[in-house]
Amino acid sequence: MIQNFISMNGYGLFVWLSFVITFLACAIIYYKTYKTLKKYEKDFAKELHQLSESERKLVLEKSKVASQVLASYNKSI
Amino acid sequence: MFDLINPSRIFYWIEKLINFINSIFFIFLIIALTFALILSPPDYLQGDSVRIMYVHVPSAWIGLASFTSIALLSILSFIFKIKNLNLITKSIAPIGLLFTCLAIITGSLWGQPTWGTWWAWDARITSMVILSIFYILFILAHKLIKKEDKANKVSNIIAIIGLVNIPVIKYSVDWWNTLHQPASIKLDGASSIHSSMLLPLMLMLLVLLLYCALILLMKYKTEIIRIKKKNIKRI
Repeated sequence: MIQNFISMNGYGLFVWLSFVITFLACAIIYYKTYKTLKKYEKDFAKELHQLSESERKLVLEKSKVASQVLASYNKSI
Repeated sequence: MFDLINPSRIFYWIEKLINFINSIFFIFLIIALTFALILSPPDYLQGDSVRIMYVHVPSAWIGLASFTSIALLSILSFIFKIKNLNLITKSIAPIGLLFTCLAIITGSLWGQPTWGTWWAWDARITSMVILSIFYILFILAHKLIKKEDKANKVSNIIAIIGLVNIPVIKYSVDWWNTLHQPASIKLDGASSIHSSMLLPLMLMLLVLLLYCALILLMKYKTEIIRIKKKNIKRI
């Protein structure tokens, strides 16, 4: 039965290759997108830390996005 | 209305949505794969090779839908001059290109056992290749043109011109003699596909749509951070 499932009655190569290519490509794109997002979060947090204390406070008060990015970055480290 | 897509407003929800999709994705993936690879029956003519349909057809639909969305949002961006729409189209494009390429590759893998050939310059396949070229041009416009306003304008024009190709892809099987069969699934309900195959097809579509949403949200979030980082001193 397992052999039948793997061979797919002679179409196994085509069927499995289609599924593997699809999910492998999706996994690679997911990994790359995730890495890029984390890199941007890290760069943003770094830039924020380079500001003076008062400037940073002002940015975090004024921008919801800035504070959320910083929170998300702090959570991931 | 367009204030709803304001990054500051939706940034919090993007994070929540990403976490939500991540938490349900693998459950749906396992269910969909079980139906597609085990529970659905083989076709009476094509045998088990019909299972390729469960990745090929949703990929093609997503490729088409993504480009249609990009083109429509580009038109709106031209009319209303909303920069956020450009961030969204820029985030959709790689997803659309990925699925268009997957539709072509899995189509080729389905073509060999079904038609006896990996490739044919059939109207549907050729128009899908043209669609992938439009995607590449759209992405290249953003990558190669340094001035953001100009890049947005050029990519919007590419998307609007490319929109002409969408009905060509859809109706290519009716307008020309092609290797592809006419549509088996119609929106008016007159579908000719059995429910035992329709269910896994819809489940795989749902899984791939969840994946698209995940990538779109992550890319959109990246774009928002990139813009905020550029303007950090101006905040």
